[in-house]
Amino acid sequence: MIDPTAADLAAADVPPELLAQSLGQYFRAWWVRVRSGDSGVLPVVLGIAIVAISFQIANSTFLSSQNLVNLFEQSTVYMLLAIAEIFALLLGEIDLSVGLVMGLSSVTVAELVQPDKANLPWWLAIILTLLACSAFGALQGWCVARLRMPSFIVTLGGLLILEGVAIIVLGGSLVGIGNTQFINERVLYDIFNGEFRPVIGWILLAVLVGVFGPALWLREARKRRHGLETPPPSLTALKIILMAAAGVGIVAICNVNRAHSGTIEGVPYIIPIVLVVLGASTVLLQRTRFGRYVYAIGGNAEAARRAGVRVPTVRIWGFVLAALTSGIAGVLFASWQVSLTTNIIKAANSYVLLAVAAAVIGGTSLFGGRGKTIHGVLGGLVIGGIYNGLYLIGVSSQVINIVVAGVLLVAAAIDVLSRRGAPRQA
Amino acid sequence: MTADASQTPTGMPDATVVTNVADAPEVAAADVPPELLADSLRQYVRAWWLRVRSGNSGVLPVVLAIVLVAVIFEVITPEHAFLRPSNLVYIFGLSTIYMVLAMAETVVLLLGEIDLSIGAVALIGGVIAFKLVQQPGPDWPWWAAILAALACCGVIGALQGTLVARLRIPSFIVTLAGFLLFSGILVVVLGGADGTVGVNSSVANQRVIYDLVQGLIVPVVGWVALAVVVAAAGAALWLRAAGKRRQGLTAPPASVTAIRIALVALVGVAVVLICNGNRGTSLVKVEGIPWVIPIVLVLLGALTMLLQRTRFGRYVYAIGGNPEAARRAGISLAAIRIWAFALCSATAGLGGILLGSFFYGQYSTNTADPGQVVLYAVAAAVIGGVSLFGGRGKAIHGVLGGIMIGAIAYGVSLLSLGQLTTPLQYILPGGVLLGAVLVDVQSRRGTGSVTGV
Repeated sequence: MIDPTAADLAAADVPPELLAQSLGQYFRAWWVRVRSGDSGVLPVVLGIAIVAISFQIANSTFLSSQNLVNLFEQSTVYMLLAIAEIFALLLGEIDLSVGLVMGLSSVTVAELVQPDKANLPWWLAIILTLLACSAFGALQGWCVARLRMPSFIVTLGGLLILEGVAIIVLGGSLVGIGNTQFINERVLYDIFNGEFRPVIGWILLAVLVGVFGPALWLREARKRRHGLETPPPSLTALKIILMAAAGVGIVAICNVNRAHSGTIEGVPYIIPIVLVVLGASTVLLQRTRFGRYVYAIGGNAEAARRAGVRVPTVRIWGFVLAALTSGIAGVLFASWQVSLTTNIIKAANSYVLLAVAAAVIGGTSLFGGRGKTIHGVLGGLVIGGIYNGLYLIGVSSQVINIVVAGVLLVAAAIDVLSRRGAPRQA
Repeated sequence: MTADASQTPTGMPDATVVTNVADAPEVAAADVPPELLADSLRQYVRAWWLRVRSGNSGVLPVVLAIVLVAVIFEVITPEHAFLRPSNLVYIFGLSTIYMVLAMAETVVLLLGEIDLSIGAVALIGGVIAFKLVQQPGPDWPWWAAILAALACCGVIGALQGTLVARLRIPSFIVTLAGFLLFSGILVVVLGGADGTVGVNSSVANQRVIYDLVQGLIVPVVGWVALAVVVAAAGAALWLRAAGKRRQGLTAPPASVTAIRIALVALVGVAVVLICNGNRGTSLVKVEGIPWVIPIVLVLLGALTMLLQRTRFGRYVYAIGGNPEAARRAGISLAAIRIWAFALCSATAGLGGILLGSFFYGQYSTNTADPGQVVLYAVAAAVIGGVSLFGGRGKAIHGVLGGIMIGAIAYGVSLLSLGQLTTPLQYILPGGVLLGAVLVDVQSRRGTGSVTGV
């Protein structure tokens, strides 16, 4: 009991805000936790820093505002697919179909707005597409949760079936949304390729910081008033300042003119889109009962069942959310690729393994119950950064896979080795 | 504490045993090989049927499914062309990569692990062998090139196995990274995204590699070989069973042994008959058994022997069933795992060489998508009846599952459906895979078997 290491070990699993009264104590408690293997986003943030520094040294345009926006755009699909995969991984399941759900979604949404075919308004096309994806997710979830078929097989069969369905939906050899004459195609095209005017970007940032800053402050102040465990006020202030600074940095970078000739400036629409998906999934997983159930099932499904959690229902919803997020990725994918062919559908399939890689690189466990959707975003950024950087220094796309493989192995090894020294086996 | 521990074991388990006492022998019998229970043919069949009903049905479902698929395609293809000898022989060649890769994957699945890299490793193995026989170039003899390729693949597998076995990084991650890594290296080895490598069938040394799938055995030799194989295998089977009976060990009844030998002979005669018919025209004769059939059979025999009759094989099943129990029984988990991954990758390498031969000795980056191939290989193994969770399955399951995938892919292409052909080539295997697992899961649910998923 008096043994200081025992106290350290016990502290290691507790969130630092429960132990800390001051900023200094907070950081000390956080460091104990990191050392014990529960390092959260730290390794992947360090990884991003390493990627950024090494590529900046290799090619000085890497950190130019033009390339940074470009890099983020290339990473969005990885980020969203990784978030989708995390819904399944947290449950201790796997979803191999996210890549092809994305492929099917992209083809469907593009087909639905074709003026000579369905000619639906863009918003209806998106809603119908996302509904279809969710329904498919529900079907897969039902097979896993009710029929007790292994998710690896269900989603492997699902991806084979989807590949065929996507080719059927595609019908001919090509569908495009690049015709700017038609407003619906134009809107879909702009989702990936459009941006806010610089002034709007600043206003949005001001509103965002103006709303979230006080909300965070008030929430924590209320917690303190009620005598609940809360991080020290200095930390809350620090969090708000960091958030504002990051926002200002992003808007400033995006508002630089990044066109070779003419003007392209402003925050791309996809940045708020990714942030909204990230925010919604984080709130859902961290602050709702559903989220707690997801972690409970991922940690120990039998224990969750005995505690009265309706395990099949939660599992089905997990797969629905995975497919829904992949569907959103598909809308972005369609907007990014502009023209869709059978080869693009096949390429969509290859994203699934990179999505799993992004989630694991970000810090999500393959065995359920551990991870957050922010890990998917950061892992996606690592993969996007590697692709972008190696492309900049003129390495062929196939060799890029070799580097991604190395990063994945290192991430998994760090995870395994850091946990090996930890007091409690995860 | 002691009070708690002594109380928990009583109660439920005892009660169930008592109430089930009437069913107990049946349930117990269901998991036992029929030859342990049977003295006569009738008893043997009854014991076997009991086992099938309990969900432990072995190759029966997949064999029935293959027959069903064959009948359906024969009925619906134009001119009932599916069962023509030329098509059957082609399907075997087409299925080779799936059969061999599914057998490779089975070795690792038995351990309860998975190998996602074998598609890429197979292609690397093929490209290495093809590169080594190039002239001008290394110009190695064909056997040395093949051995070198298999050795390279084996080393790749051993490396991945070491990461899995020693560092305990999940095999899914290690081989996912391996898949990315080796698909990258594959392109480098091929010499860029538009690189190609081929064997020249007019050079004797390269001709051998070209012939692995494309080459044909002269009809007479085919019959002679069949006679030798049936005589040898039949005699061995009969003598072994007779020896067992003489020493008082449990062996299937003599009639069962005889039926088995007769079946082997019958299937052999059918295969040789089909292959020895002229599949070409009256002017250009194409007849004889393709080399690939004996090659796959030898591989199947070797893997079956290794897994069913050696200590290594028993350890593989033991680890797949319960690694902790295996460890406590003194099995070196790491060594077996590393060897299994090496074996899996080397087998995959052979699959890659055969794949290049099937594509008329040409390799390019478009020959096969390594990601797609590995998914089909896993699907083939599972369709054949291998469990994803370790400890259950045989090499023959991989072969049957591979034939199933090849038969569907080729059957659909015969239907002249135009634009629907490609989609159906994805959708049907996906559906079959789901159906296979569903049947498996459901059949295990109602039984006393606890080895289910």
